[in-house]
Amino acid sequence: MSDFKTPPPLPPVTGPGSPQDVPPLPGSLPIDPATLPDAIREELEAPDPVAIDTAAAELSDGLNRCPKCGSTDIRHKLGTDLLVCLYCRNEWDGARVEELFGFGEGIDQLKGTVIASGARDIAADAAVLMTFKCTGCGAEVTVNTESAMTARCHWCRHVFGVNEQVANGAVPDAVLPFHIKKDDAVARIRQFVDKRRLFALKEFKEQFTPENVVGVYLPYMIVDGNASADVAGKGEIKTREYTRGTDNNKKTYYDADVYQLQRHVDFTVDDLPLESSTERGNLDVRVNTNNIINTILPFDTKNAVKWNASYLSGFTSEKRNSNVEHLHPRLEDQLLSIARAQVQASVRRYDRGVRWEQEKLDVHGTRWVSMYLPVWLYSYHQPGAKGGMLHYIAVNGRTGETMGSVPVQQWKLLLAALTVGTILETIAIAILAGSS
Amino acid sequence: MSDDGGLWLLAAGPVGATALYWALYRYYRNTDKSHGFEHETKVEAKPVTGAESDTKVDTIEGTQQTRIDGDNVGAYRARVQRITDESS
Repeated sequence: MSDFKTPPPLPPVTGPGSPQDVPPLPGSLPIDPATLPDAIREELEAPDPVAIDTAAAELSDGLNRCPKCGSTDIRHKLGTDLLVCLYCRNEWDGARVEELFGFGEGIDQLKGTVIASGARDIAADAAVLMTFKCTGCGAEVTVNTESAMTARCHWCRHVFGVNEQVANGAVPDAVLPFHIKKDDAVARIRQFVDKRRLFALKEFKEQFTPENVVGVYLPYMIVDGNASADVAGKGEIKTREYTRGTDNNKKTYYDADVYQLQRHVDFTVDDLPLESSTERGNLDVRVNTNNIINTILPFDTKNAVKWNASYLSGFTSEKRNSNVEHLHPRLEDQLLSIARAQVQASVRRYDRGVRWEQEKLDVHGTRWVSMYLPVWLYSYHQPGAKGGMLHYIAVNGRTGETMGSVPVQQWKLLLAALTVGTILETIAIAILAGSS
Repeated sequence: MSDDGGLWLLAAGPVGATALYWALYRYYRNTDKSHGFEHETKVEAKPVTGAESDTKVDTIEGTQQTRIDGDNVGAYRARVQRITDESS
């Protein structure tokens, strides 16, 4: 037939996107960035966000050796930041990351998101168990990074520490060693509970054994930030105060001027700690008592030392499972709160208060460092609906600040409240009866 | 005594009982505690600007409220409408 149409020609089988196309080499771009618009080119050519490498190459085989005798049986000397060799008793100090990597400097110059190598995104397929081949005897030693960072070879007694940063997020950039000793933590917990015995749950009092406190290294992101904030709202200044009505029905009235306010503040924050374990970061007091652990912040994070698994020997640890991106909303929320606290002094003349209605935050730059912080934790599980409630009493492993949640015996508390209420009511009725 | 004959005194019992319950509960459970990062973090701020452009927009006469409606000057953590700058 004459109206037969030839089909359009098939696309070429080579070129970008075709099965014959060879994928670009890792790290190279398939197109020339010079041909792209400025904004896209700048983003493509921007340096890798990992700007500070804190990995300890000398520990990559899992063995932390004494610089004097080469033994791997190394422990943290409690109460100090020193490491001690249990074989030759040699002591040495961990390097403070603050000076080593310049974490305290240039916060006002921060631009973009600077991430230290230990704070990088956790590999999605990372395993909890890490296995080392012992260089001493060839045995395989496994460390469960969910709860411990060191393990001993059961054949030749070499001590292995997990020092590989990227794999599963268990290795942070820095660690803040314990200063408060266990006896001290036990005493503080006992003192805390002794003040709260009267209405405490009977089972809690019976099972209370503060000696069961455990030293835990909890994962935090320590963030430096450079930000600006704007807030806008209304403020009122009292112009007149007067009373109206007769003696028996006097009421106070106020006149006021209403002002439209706007404030701007540029600020930097140094070492803001954010929980980087999703479980610990959930601070909903209706379902858990994580707010107790949050309350013992802050730590003297300036004294944190470079990562070395030997500091964790004998302590348990909890693994980080939040990446920088997940924590950004919480950081912005806290920066806004800090900005609101900063502008408060500038609105003191508004003696009837201020109602902020709008707020705006510009985060110019942040620097993220992953850190293990030391906490003594005593926990008690109170049975109940929906799995009950886990109560914590936490002691800051550096400052000794103690906070806790003690389960209450509801009937005792209600009885006390009703008794006091009844007494007050009786007094009130007696006064009324006497005056009529 | 005022017109109501002091009947408000009858509220003393329930109010006292509730207040005692909550005070003791909080002392034991510390549900209201958290890290005061606003004051405990090292913050370096440049002087706050904007005070020079405060403008009077209204006057209120004869109100019985002692504070502005919705006062949140001290409630740093209560978020208000967030303005985002999409153009930047």
